[in-house]
Amino acid sequence: MINLDELKKAVGELDEEKVKQMLTEFVESNPTEEEAQKIVVACQEGMGIVGDLFEKGEYFVGDLIFAGELLTEAINVLKSVIGGKSAQKVGTIVLGTVHGDLHDIGKNIFRSMAEAAGFEVYDLGIDQPVSAFVEKVKEVKPDIVGMSGVLTLAIESMKATVEGLKQAGLRDKVKIIIGGNPVTKEACEYVGADAFTTNAAEGVKICQGWVK
Amino acid sequence: MTDVKALQQERISIYQDVYNDKIPKRVPVNIGLPFEVIAQFGGLDLCEAQWNPAIVEEAVDKICQTVYSDICVFMGSMRYPSFYEILKSQSFRMASNGFIQHPEVTGMFPEDYDYLIENPYDCLLERVIPRQYKAFNPEDPINCAINLAKSILAYNDDFMQSGIIIKKMEEKYGYYPGGLFSGGFTEAPFDFLSDQLRGFKGISMDIRRMPDKVAAACDALYPIVFKMGLPPANSNQIFIPLHMPPFMREKDFEKLYWPSFKRLLDEYASMGIHCILFCEHDWTRYLDYLYELPTDTILWFEYGDPKVIKEKLGKKHIITGLYPVMNLKTKTKEECVEEVKRYIDILAPGGKYIFNFDKTPLLYGDIKLECLCAVAETVRDYAVYSNAGETAGMVFNKEDYKVEPSRKFESKYYKTWEQYKALNPEVSDFGRPKLENLEETIFHYLMFLLV
Repeated sequence: MINLDELKKAVGELDEEKVKQMLTEFVESNPTEEEAQKIVVACQEGMGIVGDLFEKGEYFVGDLIFAGELLTEAINVLKSVIGGKSAQKVGTIVLGTVHGDLHDIGKNIFRSMAEAAGFEVYDLGIDQPVSAFVEKVKEVKPDIVGMSGVLTLAIESMKATVEGLKQAGLRDKVKIIIGGNPVTKEACEYVGADAFTTNAAEGVKICQGWVK
Repeated sequence: MTDVKALQQERISIYQDVYNDKIPKRVPVNIGLPFEVIAQFGGLDLCEAQWNPAIVEEAVDKICQTVYSDICVFMGSMRYPSFYEILKSQSFRMASNGFIQHPEVTGMFPEDYDYLIENPYDCLLERVIPRQYKAFNPEDPINCAINLAKSILAYNDDFMQSGIIIKKMEEKYGYYPGGLFSGGFTEAPFDFLSDQLRGFKGISMDIRRMPDKVAAACDALYPIVFKMGLPPANSNQIFIPLHMPPFMREKDFEKLYWPSFKRLLDEYASMGIHCILFCEHDWTRYLDYLYELPTDTILWFEYGDPKVIKEKLGKKHIITGLYPVMNLKTKTKEECVEEVKRYIDILAPGGKYIFNFDKTPLLYGDIKLECLCAVAETVRDYAVYSNAGETAGMVFNKEDYKVEPSRKFESKYYKTWEQYKALNPEVSDFGRPKLENLEETIFHYLMFLLV
């Protein structure tokens, strides 16, 4: 069995070579599913370190993107030994970039980090009409709706999306978080969301607080 | 002299004073609104107006009468749908609200680095443009040629339409004819590589996985971005939006972004050309680097503490931006006016300051018109100097800048006059300027597709 602290540290430091090497050796050792789950947890904790370093200003958005990719690769290496039993989901999020906005870098970082933290995420994509959010919320009954946008014009679209959820009688069944460059406290109140963030790591923490 | 001509003369002189290290009579009010905002102000359908730019003229005229500015209030647009649509662009697409945007796209793969480094222009034309523009398809050569020809015609037509409107307004209202976007346009080599070639995600991977290739690619792209930015003969300024640095670690920035970028500005400075840098997002971490750039670089800031920026950079460089355009939507007219006075009190003393917002509004709904008007008029009437004519901070001297010659721009897809003449010995020398100009036009259009 590999040293879990060392793995967690290597993920936190975004040391791709080392993470790959450790995981490849681990898979070759024919581990049990239970051991493999511990490795997954260590990788997730490593992502927690990445989030902390981002908040401290030691990592930047480019590093978060790399971290997301590193985690995806890690899970791919582990796939053959994780088995059919998936890790326990801590909650469900419906996520999308609101209509009128085609940007998705921030949304994708948030998705990677939320998945790493154990959320099941339904990502609608970019430029999504109100109806796409409403339909998906009806279908999967998530705990949380995440709306993303980079341009100032996204604020109006977010407001319209919240209105759409209200009209469909779904607003009180979910928590809503908005994220992206133009969101502020005032924008959050204007939109009628429960929380806002311009920091994906902080956003995941807010979501974790909601599903505790 | 008519009133309009006198006003234009005053405007020209306040801009020239700022650029020539003198305290002007008053701070230039550099307010330009993009095509989308003005189309919506005029009650036009955004999508229709972008396909037919001439129809905004009435709205432009009205906004020029409504909003005070020393440059034409209408900026035009860089992103008309016609040429992007004809070429089936992946990089610039119209969203459901009619607003053309640049989604995250990848035009170059990691395995293309070696070819890009060896032969950058060929790589851009053979691999990157066909991936980003599906109608530029070398597998279908006749349609590829027709699509390219159609798109250039559309591009020329749309820019001519908006150019005519701007010219008319400059004449009618006596605007300063050299706004921030009136000269050349290019990108830092690293941003050129990041934006449409590798994409934000791709470059973030490459920085960690293959930093040496990233550095070599920036060097390879240097002659292309340098050539791309060279302004027309009647201008000595170049607009360069800066993109990636706020999203990178400083040590990566120092190694990968800075060297080719600094060299670019030094080389332009050695020719007497000033760069206008849009410092996108928060550059607070990099103020010491910006200080190292040639004197009188025009720095347009989106974020940052105006006091810190003025203290660190205000004697050497020309500062613009910072005033939050969001105020115009969220605050009252009185609050907007109070705040703009605060910015002026910090940024105007000592000269080297042009008023502008932190960013341009995207849609008409982003601003309240009465706040915009009040802010513009306050700058005009309040930001007046009592010591006009004095020297403002450090003085620019192009002889201070020297760079060694860089790699030459060469490609089988670009012919110099000598190469053309060797292939076509019978060609008249009278044809030289025309043929050279056509070669340049095609170069600029193709590279415009990638910025």
